[in-house]
Amino acid sequence: MMTFDQNAFLIIFTASLIAISCGLLGVFMMLRKMAMTGDAISHAVLPGIVIGFLVSGTQRGLEVIVGAGILGILATLMIDWLRKKARVQLDASIGITFTLLFAIGIILISAFAYRVDLDQECVLYGEIAYLPIDLWITDAGKSLGPRIMWLAILNLILVLSFITLFYKELKLTSFDEKFGVVIGIPASAINLGLMSMVSYTTVSSFEAVGAILVVALLVVPPATAFLWTRQLRQLIQLTLIIGIAVSLLGYYLAYLLDSSIAGMMVTVAGIIFFVSVGLTRYRSKIKFGTQNEAKAFSS
Amino acid sequence: MIKQVTQPILEIHDLTVSYDQSPVLWNVDFSLPAGKLIGILGPNGAGKSTLIKAIMGLIEPNSGYVKIFDQDLDKVRNKISYVPQRESVDWNFPASVLDVVLMGTYGKLGLFKRPGKKERELALSCLEKVGMTAYVHRQISELSGGQQQRVFIARALAQEADLYLMDEPFAGVDMNTETAIFNLLQEMSQSGKTVIVVHHDIYSAVNYFDWFIMLNLHLVASGPKNEVVTEELLRKTYGGKLNLLSKVSELIRQKEFNPLKD
Repeated sequence: MMTFDQNAFLIIFTASLIAISCGLLGVFMMLRKMAMTGDAISHAVLPGIVIGFLVSGTQRGLEVIVGAGILGILATLMIDWLRKKARVQLDASIGITFTLLFAIGIILISAFAYRVDLDQECVLYGEIAYLPIDLWITDAGKSLGPRIMWLAILNLILVLSFITLFYKELKLTSFDEKFGVVIGIPASAINLGLMSMVSYTTVSSFEAVGAILVVALLVVPPATAFLWTRQLRQLIQLTLIIGIAVSLLGYYLAYLLDSSIAGMMVTVAGIIFFVSVGLTRYRSKIKFGTQNEAKAFSS
Repeated sequence: MIKQVTQPILEIHDLTVSYDQSPVLWNVDFSLPAGKLIGILGPNGAGKSTLIKAIMGLIEPNSGYVKIFDQDLDKVRNKISYVPQRESVDWNFPASVLDVVLMGTYGKLGLFKRPGKKERELALSCLEKVGMTAYVHRQISELSGGQQQRVFIARALAQEADLYLMDEPFAGVDMNTETAIFNLLQEMSQSGKTVIVVHHDIYSAVNYFDWFIMLNLHLVASGPKNEVVTEELLRKTYGGKLNLLSKVSELIRQKEFNPLKD
């Protein structure tokens, strides 16, 4: 019953790549208290996708990614503007921005439905199970493997380079943005860079896992890891391990129960989170007796 | 009583700052000498933190300008150091004490470079100065308020600046830490650094600083201690808070505060 064939491998491999990209970005989004901005971006990119699609005529064009990227940044700027200039609370700014942009996307889809081969179901849920049959075939007719897998690889390379290059700036601006500005770190450029990476990741993962799973992968693994550690390096490592575990378990559970892989991945992520909450609470209770005394002594 | 100085380290000209149409700082104009320990005094809401933030370029002023070392802020960022209020960050952030102090070296490192051995040694020596050597690898979420403040000051020291601006470094710390921080600030100013501190407690301020800026939306006074710490100017700064003022004059009398002694 449990098989590990090539298709299973491709799906788990691609899902893990996406989970790693999302997790890496999600750690910094969470530390900046912007986890829900990630949610907003993943929905707000929809009109960008539709416009890119209308311009290029294909779902796979560069225009789609550029369009989504622009809308992602626009959403970030809009949230920021509402919060700082119009003095709307952060959660309300997020709610207003992404629902508005998402609605515009839906209207665009229905208005140009006869030209757009995009359905809202696919945008929301994705279908990673089709991945092995959607191949990247060269002009010479040679198959190079699943197209979405290559997108995910490219995405991970970009995310990894961004985070490696700007690791110290990301860390500083996440902890104390004002101090970063004062010592001359281009904090707003770093912020926009991060938002662009989130937009791009969202788009390139859309077809595979949909907007909802992207948000889950951005938020849940970092939040789970944060229950266990207070060290940035460990936090990142643990997030990646959880992301891969979610992909692996999600695939096999979906296979066993014959259900949606993306849906099962989100469910597994949720279960891991709640189990972690339980375990870490239990752990801190055990520690309580001795730890407290030692702390009082040293401070 | 506003005493202007020649060759100032910091010069503020006609600075006005407002939030939502209501002015928080009105026509502030003063200049500061180098190598002094300078206190910014004023009641709550007088614009003390706003003044610091305007100097650091974190708030856009409506009018006026700030010159540091006779230059624009952007040209001298490497020479200025900033200690924000302790509550301005989330101490649950996953970082160790050493990580945070190392952040002080990032400005000089520039983009792409990671802190190396040299920066590590600098950070450790700064931690030694604030008496936090025992806590180098401690997670910052496990620190007490006073320890957090020391870490912030160590981070500022790691910038190796000439001008330090500190926003309420004595807020919510115990006597022990307050004295330790004050001694350190004094050492710094004796070695030629200029230290500007926002402070709310007049009683200790009189003992700590040798130059005062008194603020209450308007600039009330800027000058050396013996010229500006007078009942009249304090009354102007703190307005109608009579209870407080009678305490102040009592304090001045009790301590037989003699300006000529200093």
